[in-house]
Amino acid sequence: MRSITLIVVAALIAAAAGYFFYRHEHGAQAVGGEPLPAGLQLSSLDGHPQAFEQWRGKLLLVNFWATWCTPCLHEIPDLVKLQKQYAARGLQIVGPAVDDPDAVRGMQGPLGFNYPILTATPDAMIDIMEKLGNGPGGLPFSVLVSPEGLILKRQLGEFPAGQLNPLIEAHLPH
Amino acid sequence: MTRAALYATLHLAIGVAVLSGTAAADSLWARKDSSSRDLLKADDAFRLIAAEREGKDLRVSWEIAPGYYLYRKRIKVQVLAPAAAKLDAPVLPKGELVADAEQGGKVEIYHGSLQAELHWSGNSPPQRLRVSYQGCAEAGVCYPPQTKLIDVIDLSHQAP
Repeated sequence: MRSITLIVVAALIAAAAGYFFYRHEHGAQAVGGEPLPAGLQLSSLDGHPQAFEQWRGKLLLVNFWATWCTPCLHEIPDLVKLQKQYAARGLQIVGPAVDDPDAVRGMQGPLGFNYPILTATPDAMIDIMEKLGNGPGGLPFSVLVSPEGLILKRQLGEFPAGQLNPLIEAHLPH
Repeated sequence: MTRAALYATLHLAIGVAVLSGTAAADSLWARKDSSSRDLLKADDAFRLIAAEREGKDLRVSWEIAPGYYLYRKRIKVQVLAPAAAKLDAPVLPKGELVADAEQGGKVEIYHGSLQAELHWSGNSPPQRLRVSYQGCAEAGVCYPPQTKLIDVIDLSHQAP
């Protein structure tokens, strides 16, 4: 009897460990991330306030960028493709620009943005990035936020090749 | 099954659990920690050391941390005081040419120690400067343009 109990306990421990590992490796939907700071707001390029709360219910990818940032410019075409690919399934990308608005306007056409570009004063932008966990203050900096408003992922620098698609697929609302 | 075999099975299962948990924790840590890699803040990556003048020679110097670089075309120096002093564009050493398709081809960058020489004109030498520069980490992260106000140290009357 004691032997059977030991075998069952051993099997349960191994099964639980395997399940835990699988969940983390395959982008489980149940995420215990911290909530997006309340009251975050930036502006559109034409000066209208844009509260982050408006994107609640969507999988939100916030990608801070600038025209002087080479890795940002390298990454943006991939983000444009992702927005096109996953818009119908509830992905919303937004691009706060840590830059002069005129410089940003000049790059809107060449980069072919299909998602909103946001702006703020340099100090406000640095402050928001710090609140979102970007201590060094570098770019590109991305934050993936669940439809429930929980931070799923922070990324300083470009997303490694092949990482973003499965991450998005795992958390899309539709 | 012997008691020894049973305990061996149990220990094996616990080992699997510990290893799986560790691997999962590592994986989770890698995901959460991508924002706080060991990157320096801009002030530590690009240290503006001093602006020094000795007679007509004026120079501004930086110390760039290993793994970071400054763009030549983003270095600018202006005189703030006295208003009558005039500065030419900084004379910079030849940098390293690197390919940068996003910035229109090749760009010139600096690693390590950097000095900019400045030629000034006017009756009074520059005493206070506004220095702007911008750079990146080799790790693929760029920093916003930095602007610093710096007083010029006059070395003209110091003993050799």
